[in-house]
Amino acid sequence: MRILALLLRRLAWFIPTLLGLLAITFVISRVIPGDPVALIAGDTATPAQVEALRRQLGLDRPLPVQFVTYVTQLVRGDMGTSLYTTRPIADDLASRLPATIELTLAAMAFSILIGIPLGVVSALWRNSVLDHVLRVITVSGLAIASFWLGIMLQLLFAMRLGWTPLNGRLQGFPPTTVTGLYLVDSVLAWDWTAFSMALTHLALPAATLAFPALATLVRFTRAGVLDVMQSNSVLYEHAMGLPRSVIVWKYILRNALTSTVTQIGLLFGILLAGAVVTETVFDWPGIGTYAVNSIIRSDYNGVMGFTVWAGAIFMIVNVLVDIAQGFIDPRARPS
Amino acid sequence: MTHARAFLALAAVFLVAISLMAMASPASAATRFVFANESNYDTLDPHAAFDVGRVAVRLNLYDGLYRWRDNPAVLQPWLAESHTVSADGLTYTFKLRQGAKFHDGAEVRAEDVRWSAERILALKKGAASLLATMIAPNSTKALDKHTVQFTLTKPAAIFLAAVPEVHVVNSALLNKHEKDGDWGGAWLTTNDAGSGSYQLSRYDPVIGFIAKRFAGHFMPWGPKYIDEIEFRHIKEDNTRVLGMIKGDYQGTGGYLPIDQVKRLRDAPNVKIVEQESMRIMMFQINNQRPPFNDVNVRRAISYAFDYDGFNKDILSGSVERNPVPIPNNLWGVPKDVKGYSYDLDKAKQELAKAKAKVDRPITVAYLTGFSQTEQAATVMANGLRKLGLETKLTSELWPTMVDKMKKPETSPDLVVYWISTYYADPHNWIGEMFHSGQWGTFKASCFYKNPRVDELLDVALKSTDRKVREKAYQDAARIVVEEAGGVWIYNTKYFGPWAKNLEGIRFSPIGNGQEMRWVYYQ
Repeated sequence: MRILALLLRRLAWFIPTLLGLLAITFVISRVIPGDPVALIAGDTATPAQVEALRRQLGLDRPLPVQFVTYVTQLVRGDMGTSLYTTRPIADDLASRLPATIELTLAAMAFSILIGIPLGVVSALWRNSVLDHVLRVITVSGLAIASFWLGIMLQLLFAMRLGWTPLNGRLQGFPPTTVTGLYLVDSVLAWDWTAFSMALTHLALPAATLAFPALATLVRFTRAGVLDVMQSNSVLYEHAMGLPRSVIVWKYILRNALTSTVTQIGLLFGILLAGAVVTETVFDWPGIGTYAVNSIIRSDYNGVMGFTVWAGAIFMIVNVLVDIAQGFIDPRARPS
Repeated sequence: MTHARAFLALAAVFLVAISLMAMASPASAATRFVFANESNYDTLDPHAAFDVGRVAVRLNLYDGLYRWRDNPAVLQPWLAESHTVSADGLTYTFKLRQGAKFHDGAEVRAEDVRWSAERILALKKGAASLLATMIAPNSTKALDKHTVQFTLTKPAAIFLAAVPEVHVVNSALLNKHEKDGDWGGAWLTTNDAGSGSYQLSRYDPVIGFIAKRFAGHFMPWGPKYIDEIEFRHIKEDNTRVLGMIKGDYQGTGGYLPIDQVKRLRDAPNVKIVEQESMRIMMFQINNQRPPFNDVNVRRAISYAFDYDGFNKDILSGSVERNPVPIPNNLWGVPKDVKGYSYDLDKAKQELAKAKAKVDRPITVAYLTGFSQTEQAATVMANGLRKLGLETKLTSELWPTMVDKMKKPETSPDLVVYWISTYYADPHNWIGEMFHSGQWGTFKASCFYKNPRVDELLDVALKSTDRKVREKAYQDAARIVVEEAGGVWIYNTKYFGPWAKNLEGIRFSPIGNGQEMRWVYYQ
């Protein structure tokens, strides 16, 4: 019941927040220079022809009217049609979603599987050489811009060593689409050539995306573990003669992970909604690249569609994180 | 004996196995071709796009009444067998060939042509802007099953040149998929309703499309052909080039940076098809904004660009100097006009003669993401600085630039880009660039105005006599060059990388060799 109440409270905030976000994006996307109507009308279109198309698309009406029309459509589940691809925005986003999900999952798996153990190790051997080295790496992870890291990885692994492809998601068409996740689909189709190709394409963008996330997880896990290690419960567990590995990996880690889980949730949301830079550098055909292309082409509906997606993801992830925290730490459950 | 029997039995099993394998894998004999394209295939609707980047969809999945072929481009009857033009030049009647079929087996009828023309005009995208200047909605008639008639709103000699853009779609099929009066638009973005030489078998807007040979195409196939074609979007030049060298792709776009062309020339499995195209790089000078409304200032600017240096030092001599606003390899070019050369002394003399003084920095604009335009802008700025003129380099994304170029008040002083081939007629260049009635379009961003030039271009557009048209374009070009309406730099050369064992590639400036029905492996 308490969780339901939390959900309802969050939902009540969801709508005004999304409306505010939409209003801001709507105004910004329309005041920046660039005329998408002139572009889709074609290079040879006269001003009169451009205006006729503008009227046909309803883009000649006052901005508030356009906004109300857009929101009304959105309430009905219609995100509009892309001015450029001429397909429904929902279809465009859906076709690119699996690419973003696959990249995000790979990056998160990479950062969780490496970041959490490193954070624990770093805390256990606090102020050792290992801890200092990890600190340098984590600070770098947070400080290095992902577009720079991505390009450096491309230069080294794709251009110099030739181990991975430069960019893209696969050479050509994937195996029969079941989930849209190429790694999964190629396993289902028993196509190991496609699997290894998908994996090599995924490696660099996933590493680029994972690096800052990994750095965050190392730092939060380290801080959490250090905090719990100084608690009386751990002293008691030591006094009880429990093995060190049980104390660390069972008792300390569980108590230390509360803040890390919050970060994982938030990072997942950030990556899912905004791996824009990494996707652009690696020409990864996901939601981020779609957003960039929409902005470049002034595809208003595309930009708005991305905004709805990103806003919704952030809000949903926030609620899920609150719920997950409650499960891990009873003190964090809503009263 | 036992050994002999065993040997014979083994041999028989081996032979059967080999035969079964051969029968089981007929696909291994099928030929396949992959093209790496720099643009993406966001939509398959042939009426939604009019760009070279997505031309493969239109040329391979669809047919028009006529088709541009080869270089210099020649109009060939395609779905139409012939046509007649009325004496007043207003009525074009096309006779369709019989037996042409859409991919679903339905016959291509005159009604489909009519419906396709109406669809283009209603959607107002792609080639609509070009056709709408000549034909009005509901003016096209299907006289019978195989005769279609277009009635022009005013005489336009370029109508026939624009006819290949009326890609004929299957009206019955699209009517079935029509939704909220969209002319089947939502469905056609991801599907095929054509009669072209290849029919769609797979499409992903992010990746590209695969199409299989349409054996029932009206144009008989030669003894050799490619069974399956794939056009893939590969954004990076370097990836496309590496893929060509590795043999992953058998063709890619022919406008690569010259250092990449050199790499491909060294690859043993790649050949470069070299052709002079029809794509002029030019600086548009804003003729309406002082001091560029002074002809002497414009001439000074024309003398300040290092044409040879740009070609030889930056482009490694890969282009042809094109001194007039019509491509060198097209009719209508006044051959006696030499145009401007890089001559700073003459530029200074022109500046001295000018009544208007250049007392502010000159804005030289180029396109973000197109490095060659930046290089050209820098060469221009360098020349102007040598004349003692201050410059300011700016860049914009293409949509923003198009927006700015609508009005003389917002268009930059100078802006550099290319004018490509939409149809092979001088009107595509000089007509659309220098007739004052075209102001507001990106091609006419010089905002040039000369009643005599308008008159000549009107004559050329209305007359159906080629000689009259040619003379009018030549005379107009002489005046525009004399008045330095813009700065014309070069005509592009096409360096098309193709797999060495491919034959039959037919380059045309409109299709860039991407019509695959002629191509086969040796």
